Amino acid sequence: MSVALHVFSLYSREVMRFRKLWLDTVFSPIISIILYLAVFGIVVGTRTIGDINFLSFIYTGLLCMLMVNSSFANPSFALIISKNVGTIADLQVVPIPPWGIGVAYAAAALTRAIATLVFTVLLTIWFIPLDSVHHITVAILAAILTGLEFGLLGVIFGMWAKNFEALTFITTFIMQPMIFLAGVFFPISTLPGIWSTLGLLNPLHHNVNLFRYGITGYADVSPLTSCIAIVSISLILFIWMQIQTKRSLKN
Amino acid sequence: MDALRTHQLSKQFIQKNGEPFIAVNNVTMSIEEGKIHGLLGPNGAGKSTLINMITGSCMPSSGEIVVFDNNVTDKTIQSKQVIGIVPQEIVIEMAFTVYEVLYYFSGMYGISYAERNKRIPKILEVLDLSEKAHERARGLSGGMKRRLMIAKAIIHKPKLLILDEPTAGVDVTLRQRIWELVRELNKQGTTVLFTTHYLEEAEQLCERITVLNHGKIVKNGDLKDIQQEFSKNLIRFELFDRNTTHLEEVQQVGMAYNYPIKNLRDDLDRIAAFYKDNLKSIRSEAASLEEIFLNLTSK
Ligand SMILES: Nc1ncnc2c1ncn2[C@@H]1O[C@H](COP(=O)(O)OP(=O)(O)O)[C@@H](O)[C@H]1O
Ligand SMILES: [Mg+2]
Repeated sequence: MSVALHVFSLYSREVMRFRKLWLDTVFSPIISIILYLAVFGIVVGTRTIGDINFLSFIYTGLLCMLMVNSSFANPSFALIISKNVGTIADLQVVPIPPWGIGVAYAAAALTRAIATLVFTVLLTIWFIPLDSVHHITVAILAAILTGLEFGLLGVIFGMWAKNFEALTFITTFIMQPMIFLAGVFFPISTLPGIWSTLGLLNPLHHNVNLFRYGITGYADVSPLTSCIAIVSISLILFIWMQIQTKRSLKN
Repeated sequence: MDALRTHQLSKQFIQKNGEPFIAVNNVTMSIEEGKIHGLLGPNGAGKSTLINMITGSCMPSSGEIVVFDNNVTDKTIQSKQVIGIVPQEIVIEMAFTVYEVLYYFSGMYGISYAERNKRIPKILEVLDLSEKAHERARGLSGGMKRRLMIAKAIIHKPKLLILDEPTAGVDVTLRQRIWELVRELNKQGTTVLFTTHYLEEAEQLCERITVLNHGKIVKNGDLKDIQQEFSKNLIRFELFDRNTTHLEEVQQVGMAYNYPIKNLRDDLDRIAAFYKDNLKSIRSEAASLEEIFLNLTSK
């Protein structure tokens, strides 16, 4: 029995959900990016790093962070809310297997991340001293993989978490430090001692690295290593997501 | 064919204090295709838990469920596909319009776009929600929300429709409308399993019932048979003047009195001799479902 249309319908519903709130979900992150860019633009001026402009270094990091945040937020918020109001019951009775539910939510997360990315780039690219894109396919691949990876993580977390306190906790104590140590604002290698090692072990660092490489050609570690790391982590998350979804929907 | 079969089905919850609690205990029952089946029992009897296991939202601790030849454990998707469920709790996607709620939900059952756009207006018409089609579900009244829940349950034309107390807290008009619709769907071939608080509803609607108490089946079978079994030993009579002394075995039931039969002829004589011309009417009576219910679940 094919469940393609079943899964696609759930995906469409989740896309519709963030479209209805597009000012909050797609547009408002752009404001924070613009603020960051304004501040950093003044501070770093025309400084360079390696052979690229420091502002485009930060810009690519910010864009990646933006995608991580929106793809993680989309399923985790939607699922925690649906637990609170009880609409999670729909997911328990519809004829969609756990993997299908996870895939639909992760794909919706990816869609929101890409939509946010495209909007942001269209509005901000004009202020960035970036003459050409180094490897557009790598950049697109990095964007898609990042959206899916953190979409899956958002599904796992949304299925697992019982309330918003848990979400705040994870965001403050896990996501934010990870983002800080992901080389968004400065190269990981400039961190002192242990922090530099920690940064390299930070899975998020690979997303930033691969995406930045695609746009600017600058990389801390080999882009291939980053790509393999992201794919492997995504596969693990995909399996974990199925286990977590099954468990949460059968409580 | 059986629309539903459960075999030694049990559910054990772990309570907050760590103690296990058996909500459904060894339930074996079946519903023939095309029937309307009532699931009765006092609050906390385990009706919703049983239903949740059938619909796949609650994992059985042990036992087996078969829905139209699909074992729900290994053919979960196939069995979910043929079930429609009106859950006890009203829960609705608040951000979506009535139309959208139905559109996406039926999509999740694999109904094609064209078919959805055909069915939704029809179903809204039947449930008198057409005017609200493009309003947010958030703004609906309680009765409308209930109707939307029913629309969600039947939009994919399930072969087994399950309604968990669909008429609780619903006004008389809507209650009648709901049961009319259920009868109509049943005529078209839908098998129905429902629970209700209102025993007269069960009496009017279904041929077969299952009575649960403390998670166990206390009675299961044809309503007529069960009524007969209980009426065999009951004489019912009314008195002109209720301010009087009574025979020892007599029980008051509303305005009337019940007397358990040992020997029908002797007992009739005995009652007639005792109450004489105070006796307004007397007959051996089919027990109402309410009496049966009270009798079965008072333990
Ligand atoms: N998730 C749960 N955890 C612990 N106990 C539960 C849970 N769900 C139901 N119960 C208990 O199981 C019993 C049966 O509940 P339920 O099936 O809702 O009864 P009914 O629908 O017949 O009123 C109740 O005593 C209830 O407290
Ligand atoms: Mg109940």
